Amino acid sequence: MSRNRLYTIVLLACAGGSLWLWIQNSRHLLAQNGETNACLIKTLTGVPCPSCGTTRSIFELFDGHVMSSLQWNPMGIMVLLIMVISPVWILLDLLLRKDSFLRCYSRAEKQLQSKWIAMPAMGLVVFNWVWNICKGL
Amino acid sequence: MELQKVDLFIMTNAKFFEAHHLGWIREQLIQMDDSKWPTLQMQQFKDPTTYLIVSLLGGSLGIDRFMLGDTGLGVGKLLTCGGLGIWAIIDWFMIMPAAREKNMALFQNVLSYA
Repeated sequence: MSRNRLYTIVLLACAGGSLWLWIQNSRHLLAQNGETNACLIKTLTGVPCPSCGTTRSIFELFDGHVMSSLQWNPMGIMVLLIMVISPVWILLDLLLRKDSFLRCYSRAEKQLQSKWIAMPAMGLVVFNWVWNICKGL
Repeated sequence: MELQKVDLFIMTNAKFFEAHHLGWIREQLIQMDDSKWPTLQMQQFKDPTTYLIVSLLGGSLGIDRFMLGDTGLGVGKLLTCGGLGIWAIIDWFMIMPAAREKNMALFQNVLSYA
């Protein structure tokens, strides 16, 4: 994948995620607590997907409740870290005309493809999925 | 390479590539050395239709991107419920061109390294 394409996709994804959080936060502040469902799997089947609960987990983090955030969905912390770090990293890369984010992404992608990392990671995702279903998110 | 072999390759493998690339592929094959033919024949090109089915069924979990080798994008889709469902729907339309792009890269790889 080319540098510009990756950076565009990541920046767009982060912007979309931030917009989503802002909309959800506004709804929360206006006390419109009706459930907004953006997950295709949950909408179609009624069963939560492995990343359902991420938004609620991030809001718990904003309120400083780390344990509660982990209970909603541990992926929330990961998503928030990516959403905070990657745009800054990309903007620095663009300003300094470097490609350190692309190189790090490619290295991480290669490591994730090795079965010794992919298998445990898949196990964790499945475990999280079962946990989500048990929690009835 | 012989025209007969080239046309046979184009006929059997046309669905794996973008239509506008076929002319260029044909030209390259005609100019290609015969010694590269067995390597080219052994390549397993990705079937775009299979990827469309996978994308429709498991796109929200990023399975289509994982299968295609775009692990980073797969993780991105997995962590965000398929990009809040929007990315998953966009990929229903983008996954077939993406699979053909991968096939094109594989073809160019064979041309340059075999």
